[in-house]
Amino acid sequence: MIKCPFCGTAHVENTLFCSECGTYLLEDDRRGTDPLGTGEIGWVGSDEEGVAEASVQGSGPLAVRLRIGESGREIEVPLNKAIHLGRLDPASDVFPEIDLSEDGGLEKGVSRRHARILKREGTVVAEDLGSINGTFINGKRLAPYLPEALHDGDQLQLGKLLIEVELA
Amino acid sequence: MQYDKDYYSILGIPQTASEDEVRKAYRALAREHHPDSSEDPQTAEKFQELQEAYEVLSSPTQRQKYDHFRAQQGSDRSSAIHLRPVASHKTLLAMPEEQAYYVLLNIMPATDLPASRLPLNLCLVLDRSTSMQGMRLQQVKEATRQIIDSLQANDALSLVVFSDRAEVLLPAQSNIDKAMAKSIASTIQPSGGTEMLQGLLAGLQEIENTRSEDSVNHLILLTDGQTYGDEQGCLEEAQAAGRSQISLSTMGIGSDWNEDLLDQMAALSNGTSTYIDSPRKVVDIFKETVRSLGLVIARELVLSVNPSSGVRMHEAFQITPHIRRLDPQGNRIVLGPLGSDQGKAVLLEFRVEGLSSGQQRLMRITVEGDVPGQVDRRSWEWVELTAQVADTPDASADIPPPIVTALGKLAIFRMQEKAMADLEAGEISAATQRLETMATRLLNLGETDLARAALLEAGRLARTGDLSAEGRKKIRYGTRALSILPKEIPHD
Repeated sequence: MIKCPFCGTAHVENTLFCSECGTYLLEDDRRGTDPLGTGEIGWVGSDEEGVAEASVQGSGPLAVRLRIGESGREIEVPLNKAIHLGRLDPASDVFPEIDLSEDGGLEKGVSRRHARILKREGTVVAEDLGSINGTFINGKRLAPYLPEALHDGDQLQLGKLLIEVELA
Repeated sequence: MQYDKDYYSILGIPQTASEDEVRKAYRALAREHHPDSSEDPQTAEKFQELQEAYEVLSSPTQRQKYDHFRAQQGSDRSSAIHLRPVASHKTLLAMPEEQAYYVLLNIMPATDLPASRLPLNLCLVLDRSTSMQGMRLQQVKEATRQIIDSLQANDALSLVVFSDRAEVLLPAQSNIDKAMAKSIASTIQPSGGTEMLQGLLAGLQEIENTRSEDSVNHLILLTDGQTYGDEQGCLEEAQAAGRSQISLSTMGIGSDWNEDLLDQMAALSNGTSTYIDSPRKVVDIFKETVRSLGLVIARELVLSVNPSSGVRMHEAFQITPHIRRLDPQGNRIVLGPLGSDQGKAVLLEFRVEGLSSGQQRLMRITVEGDVPGQVDRRSWEWVELTAQVADTPDASADIPPPIVTALGKLAIFRMQEKAMADLEAGEISAATQRLETMATRLLNLGETDLARAALLEAGRLARTGDLSAEGRKKIRYGTRALSILPKEIPHD
């Protein structure tokens, strides 16, 4: 018997998804994020391209579109509330809006609670949430808990995971 | 023994038939074709063929020899249907408890099939109740005219409208006078209520009148309202239609129709139900339905599983073209028609128990289809699945990604099923919670629109104790369509 870490339902061995709550039962997300080693984290994105001018008009963008990692998976999320980025871990009650587990989040040093994107007075900002391996915008590392403006075309990096940002 | 003869089809049984089934099939046919009961010399011939088939298939050693030879020959044999299985595990643990085992089965038409189109035998059954007035009826008429234009000479068409009663506007016929048919379609006037069974009965009768050995029989039923009191009758007719290879496309327009009913009717006849949220979409949906009917190569696919002892089928779902729960009759599942443009993917979930160590045969899966265009119209292919049963787990083994992806989408579909069941049982808070969890999963898949709809309905449910008619349909039809393609975000 195996037990769903999210809702506790018991399933027969080898079951892949919880039939009650849809949780993937093989994910070993209780592992903590390992520090990637000091000095190892540099900017892995390109320096030349993608740095856009700020263009904030009216009440600002309504949604943010993220193109994640090597897979290029795209997600569009409305900006009506803060968007948390991290790795889903039901066991410790972490439910980020954007779960980066499947994008190699663990290997690339993404914390469970890594960063968030939100709109503040019409400007979209990114904030590092005290992550172990850091958050970068276009190569610049953010100070933890100090939000920085995020622009259309910016490159966001969580640990070593690169995310392209589009504002709509 | 004649290897070029298909003894299984002579007895009308699948490859996987048990000894008992072989005997029963033989007895029934032998009685029917006994030479004493007829003077016809063909009967005697047929009877001899039956005896030959029975002799071979009833003897385990002869049957094995025959199967073996046919299987070897199978590599040269051109089946119109191809099977590609993906199993969740290559290694299973030897343990006393039950364990799960999944098989994702891709069923595809052969790519080198001749492009001959089967004749359609199509009936449109259209709701003309008062509520269809205006844009809805106008679009339905336009869609009907465009379908008439797209038909070929050997296609048969009939046209039925219903309100409180049914009326056959165009009796089933091929070689249609298109101008005449289109002008008939233009005369449809709205009035009255919605009594679906009347329309359905009239439509099915028309299809019976023009059906042939090779035709793709299909009924498109479009409604915008609730039918009262005749639901059970509609379901029974849909089931009977499915049994005689008539599939139904049931389409609901607007939000005031019974999705449970239309869904079940489509499922019982191996057709599709569609939610049309705007009249503007009617023309495209009708045209797409008829286009895909024109691509049908196998009229009826039947999947059968022959499991080893200790292995049993637990549940079965179709994953593509859209997610739906399949209803196995024993180890046999009817899958409906197969088109040349699109395969089907089916996910089978098994329970495995009490296997001993070593390489073990788990099951044989056979898919058969009626392919009228082929010389040997009964086409089939089968696969055998085995696993290594070991005492220690294989740590390096990964679950194949297609299985994880399919199951992930299926998980959301099943939560939707459960949320609706909770709601039905009056468990409002359980249903609300499920919708919320579902929204999180959808968000992770990048399905923002559907996630938003689920959240909105969760909120409404918590406040009012019910879902909106529209939200209910959006969630149901949205979750089943999850499997279609990886979400592409349109660039504007």
